[in-house]
Amino acid sequence: MAGRIRTHRAASPWLFLLPGLAVTAAFTLYPFLSTVGKAFTDARTLTPGHWTGLANFRAMLEDEQFWVALRNSGLYVLLVVPFTVLLPLLLALLVEKQLPGVTFFRSAFYTPVVASVVVVSLIWVWMLDDRGLVNGILRALDTGPVDFLGDEWLLLLSAMALTVWKGLGYYMVVYLAALGNVPRELHEAAAVDGAGALRRFTSVTVPAVRSTMVLVGALSSVSAFKVFSEVFLMAGPSGGPAGQDTTLVMLVQRTGTGLGGRVGYASAVSLVVFAVTLLLMLLVLRADRKEAP
Amino acid sequence: MPPLRRAASATAALLVSALTLTACGSGGDDGGSSADGKAEGKITFQTWNLRAKFKDYFEGLVRDFEKQNPDVKVAWLDQPAEHYADKLSADAGAGTLPDVVNVSPDLSYPLAKAGLLTNLDKEKAAARFKGEYTPEAWQGNSLPGLGGSYAFPWYLNTGPLFYNKTLFRDSGLDPERPPRSYGELFADADRMARQSGGKTATLAATPSIEDFGRYGVQLMNADATKFTYDEPKGVELLTKYKDLYEHGGLDPQALTNTPEKSGQKFLEQKVAMNPGGAHDLETFKENAPSLYRNLGITDAPNNTGKPNMYVMGLAVNSRSKHKAAAIAFAHFVTGKQQQEAFAHKVAIFPSTKGSLDDPYWTKEDGTDEGRVRVASAKMLKGAVNYTPVVMSDEMKTILRNEVAKALQGKKSPRQALDDAAAQSNKLLRQG
Repeated sequence: MAGRIRTHRAASPWLFLLPGLAVTAAFTLYPFLSTVGKAFTDARTLTPGHWTGLANFRAMLEDEQFWVALRNSGLYVLLVVPFTVLLPLLLALLVEKQLPGVTFFRSAFYTPVVASVVVVSLIWVWMLDDRGLVNGILRALDTGPVDFLGDEWLLLLSAMALTVWKGLGYYMVVYLAALGNVPRELHEAAAVDGAGALRRFTSVTVPAVRSTMVLVGALSSVSAFKVFSEVFLMAGPSGGPAGQDTTLVMLVQRTGTGLGGRVGYASAVSLVVFAVTLLLMLLVLRADRKEAP
Repeated sequence: MPPLRRAASATAALLVSALTLTACGSGGDDGGSSADGKAEGKITFQTWNLRAKFKDYFEGLVRDFEKQNPDVKVAWLDQPAEHYADKLSADAGAGTLPDVVNVSPDLSYPLAKAGLLTNLDKEKAAARFKGEYTPEAWQGNSLPGLGGSYAFPWYLNTGPLFYNKTLFRDSGLDPERPPRSYGELFADADRMARQSGGKTATLAATPSIEDFGRYGVQLMNADATKFTYDEPKGVELLTKYKDLYEHGGLDPQALTNTPEKSGQKFLEQKVAMNPGGAHDLETFKENAPSLYRNLGITDAPNNTGKPNMYVMGLAVNSRSKHKAAAIAFAHFVTGKQQQEAFAHKVAIFPSTKGSLDDPYWTKEDGTDEGRVRVASAKMLKGAVNYTPVVMSDEMKTILRNEVAKALQGKKSPRQALDDAAAQSNKLLRQG
């Protein structure tokens, strides 16, 4: 009897874990392993394919679209992440104070997060169109029109601006939670020592929320590298003029879907996305460890 | 960081990254039933975005067929227009492709190549119906290299080209004489751009593979194993489009315009010509009455004398458990009486022999819809499906992107077409 109880005790945690593990195995682990396997084959959507070794990776090196996509996804990380780390922090500082009407602003800043990315992307497309709101204003000021949606760089920058704008509210809430934990005494002591607002920001606020900034940096860099919806909706399925705004995930979608999809090649590109994402995460974790007091 | 935490962090990182990966499966071959037996059993029938407007028609079809064939039950499924190819590939991969499925030739090609569709020319029970359809329509569903036709011809369409008579008049062009050839199109577009000071473009989209076909370019070699649109005539067309783009005859955002965006620009009267269908008339009537009052309808410019034709078909799953019933139902839906009844409900055209000789498609009835119908039906005689069935979406994107590079001046038209053909041929060789 005692033996049976002991057995049950040992098995219990696994039984509790089983549903979660089963879901993870079916929807994360299996697709992951399957993708790794297919990356080394010439699999098509309707045919399982044969082992081709590193052929897909060699083809990738010769594929002009792959380099364009890698460049764009890399630029997305470089240009979007600094803004998604800093701007929400400044916004959180603005709405942190309990002033009359501040709830309205908090909600307003959060609204884009809840809105569908498809809807907001279409609204941005309308605004940036050659006859849209922005060009209307520019025309009124005798400085327009600007070809936001026809120029490959302006289009990419517009998509980046949309990503930053849409993420502001989410990261603002993360920062608000972190700011709530910063002892008020630290600010008071710094003020007594004669520190101005900027000095208090750099010497008190930033160190206090540093680990949150690392977290935001990690999350936003991973999602920036995997960007799809905003660019796809603004640039169109072919990836903007001459495909020059294609990102890596768009390339995966374009090459790997449809009835004639090159699943093997798309899997190989997915592995590259995986490797770079993993690298980004490990770099951020390492930076966090090094800087930790 | 303690080892356990480090391991947990690394695992978390791995899992987050793993979520970026996707996978697809493939179905197994479980064989199909005989097509020569008695029509019986429960079959599935899938259409492409037709339930919303034609629910009653299809429910009536199913009812009539079941009455004639009491041993057969038909379950009708309909899929939305978007991502239809993805839905088919998911079904094919899972081994759940419907028994009778609505396809266009470019969709049936990869399915037939994977052995998932019945070769109707080789299946006696189906081949005996061949004579009921026009030879062009039956041929339209033949797939190169696969030795036969893989779908019962269903409805056909050409799609007229709409034009804005006001914009033609404002540019000093005769609104009753729209361009009929590409030469006239380029001349009119140049004049319109000059007269409007670059404000009015004639077209909103870059040339598609169908444009190359209508211009008279040899798109592929005879056995459809190599793209040849980079021949001198193709380069000539692209060079003319480049001039058009540089002089304002083509919308400045043509490189990124989707068909929806192009339609919107025509509606806003920013471009003078746009392809469409009879269903667009309702949109014009509601959203742009001034455009509707001055709307011209013509054929797409053509240098070959053979307009483009879009072909729809009904394919039979080669692994169907009730193939005899599936063939009988596909033949029933595409039969003369049913096709003509369907074509009276919407601006499409039957592919059955002799149908288009009916006065409904030869005599105008004074309405705009009637005008479009008769004009389009006339175009169908001698029409061909220019889109090569072996041309995948990825190959179409390659052509579009290389064309854009030529228009931007990043490559010469010859180089751009050579590169597009080379990339597409490489994909074609990969199978």
